Amino acid sequence: MQRDWPDICGGVILAALGAGVAIWAAVHYDIGTLRRMGPGFFPVVLGGVLSVLGLVVAVPALGRTVTAPKVEVGAAIAVLGAIVIFALGLPRLGLAGATAAAVLVATIPAPRPGWRWRVVLATAVTALTVLVFSVGLQMTLPLWPRLT
Amino acid sequence: MTTWEGLTFGIGFVLQPGVLIYCFLGVVLGTFVGVLPGIGAMAAISLLLPITYYITPEAALIMLAGVYYGAQYGGAVASILLRLPGTPQSAVTTLDGYPMARDGRAGVALFTAMASSFTGSVIGIIVLVMLAGWLSRAATAFGAADYAAMMILGLVAASTIGTARPAKGFAMVALGLLLGCVGTDVNSGAQRFTFAQTELLDGINLVALAMGLFGVAEVIGNVRDPDRQGVAERIGLRRLMPRREDLRRMALPTLRGSALGSFFGALPGTGSTLSSFLSYSMERRIARQPERFGNGAIEGVAGPEAANNSAAITAFAPTLTLGIPGDPIMALMLGALVIHGVQPGPLMLEARPEMFWGLVASFGIGNLLLLILNLPLIGIWVAMLRIPFNYLYPAILVFLCLGVYSVRGLTFDIMAVAAIGLVGYLLALAKFSPALLLLGFVLGPLIETNLRRAFLISRGDPMVFLERPIAAGFVVATVALLLLPLWQAWRRRKAVSRP
Repeated sequence: MQRDWPDICGGVILAALGAGVAIWAAVHYDIGTLRRMGPGFFPVVLGGVLSVLGLVVAVPALGRTVTAPKVEVGAAIAVLGAIVIFALGLPRLGLAGATAAAVLVATIPAPRPGWRWRVVLATAVTALTVLVFSVGLQMTLPLWPRLT
Repeated sequence: MTTWEGLTFGIGFVLQPGVLIYCFLGVVLGTFVGVLPGIGAMAAISLLLPITYYITPEAALIMLAGVYYGAQYGGAVASILLRLPGTPQSAVTTLDGYPMARDGRAGVALFTAMASSFTGSVIGIIVLVMLAGWLSRAATAFGAADYAAMMILGLVAASTIGTARPAKGFAMVALGLLLGCVGTDVNSGAQRFTFAQTELLDGINLVALAMGLFGVAEVIGNVRDPDRQGVAERIGLRRLMPRREDLRRMALPTLRGSALGSFFGALPGTGSTLSSFLSYSMERRIARQPERFGNGAIEGVAGPEAANNSAAITAFAPTLTLGIPGDPIMALMLGALVIHGVQPGPLMLEARPEMFWGLVASFGIGNLLLLILNLPLIGIWVAMLRIPFNYLYPAILVFLCLGVYSVRGLTFDIMAVAAIGLVGYLLALAKFSPALLLLGFVLGPLIETNLRRAFLISRGDPMVFLERPIAAGFVVATVALLLLPLWQAWRRRKAVSRP
């Protein structure tokens, strides 16, 4: 058991975000009147509402305890990292290179030990991706790494 | 078009090979993701959204709808055999379905789930047809204020009903509404929160948002989960056929569940998960021997499974006739249609009969396909439960990235998926509902446009929301929903203070 940090932090972040959005919108966009609302009206009101709601979530949570959620830091980094590598790699490494790299990175936190299955999986997924998206759906993508 | 003409027209439309194949694909894919715990209908529909760019909007809607109700069938399989709900809608089915499987009655439980799901769907289709005709006639009386009030009621209902902390739900809705503001303001043409990024001019990409919030977040949460590593043992399905006694016990709960689901599915903000829970508690309350529940009562499988399927179908009535999605999955469906340039509304039945009647007919044909396919294929679904998640998730990630990339050909969108995925995982950890965020995001521009129009017409007078009877009805219902939790808290406090 620990203090209800998820609700406290979540509420505070949302409150800050709401206040920030409301202030940004009030400064940069025309608010208008209730009769003729400008583009800033909705964001200012919603930002205000969100900051109040954030506090409504955070304040009662101060005196509450919960079981701590299990945070999978490794899985999160590997999965998000694989997506970023895919995005960065697609124009440079081509579809095949980006897919293989992304699959290899994504399998790092997988509980099954050994590396052979990871290589086999990367090869299989790459072959499947090239077949489905490049051959099947005729997506115009560079396939292989550019050597120049 | 009369109902019969519509139905025959719709059946003819769906039976075209070019449409039927997507209906078939939808229900098979839906069953697949429903069986696999950890990937719900939300994630599957988000994954499929980009593919729908390549087909007609009618086929797209039919396929996505097939995924939705197909997942309800599949979800029951994992619930009964593994006590792992494949979808949130089938969580209740674990309560009595799993004990039945432990008693060696897995086959009967699966049969019950399928038969009740089918019955629920048929009743849902009948209600949908009646309701849609009535709603689209009533909708001609709807003004901007009425639309705005109804959508606000939907958002309030979705964040208060069945949630432990309504404030967290409201915060997610507000955040979703704000994200919906990003991009070019339709009323004034001003750019809001785009920060000079041309990629954001059209707003945040719905596909990237849905994939990040559901696909990526669910993958991260399941990578190291020991329950996802293919634990299913071999389960004999020798006795799929129920006894006469079983049929007698499941008949009335199925009908009651269907009625309940049809009603709650059509209401904004409630949906099929709530219906299945309500059906279960109703069956337990009226049972002669309530102690059987939790120990393998067939009524506890039949009622909720009928309820979630009928709710999944009637939920399309407000979505298609009013253009107002009642739950997050309907919001995704609406988003898919809007991507295709189809704006659902009261004229849909007349202007695009193939859309409405085709969908209605596809429900019937799709459910029939599910019934025919799933009885013989059950062995394959059970075998699929043994695929370790290790092998699946890297492929899911790559398909997800390519899917979102295929929409606009921008790697910006893939990066956005990573960023939204991080937010989605943190929200899931802290138990903030990403589904409510998505509902707010889709409804945001609609609410803003209608609110601005309503105030323009009324010259800034807020009384317009109380003077128009339709809007006033929604406002009263919204206030009642907001006061309900406060009243319950007050009663609880009174009960505690009394000795």
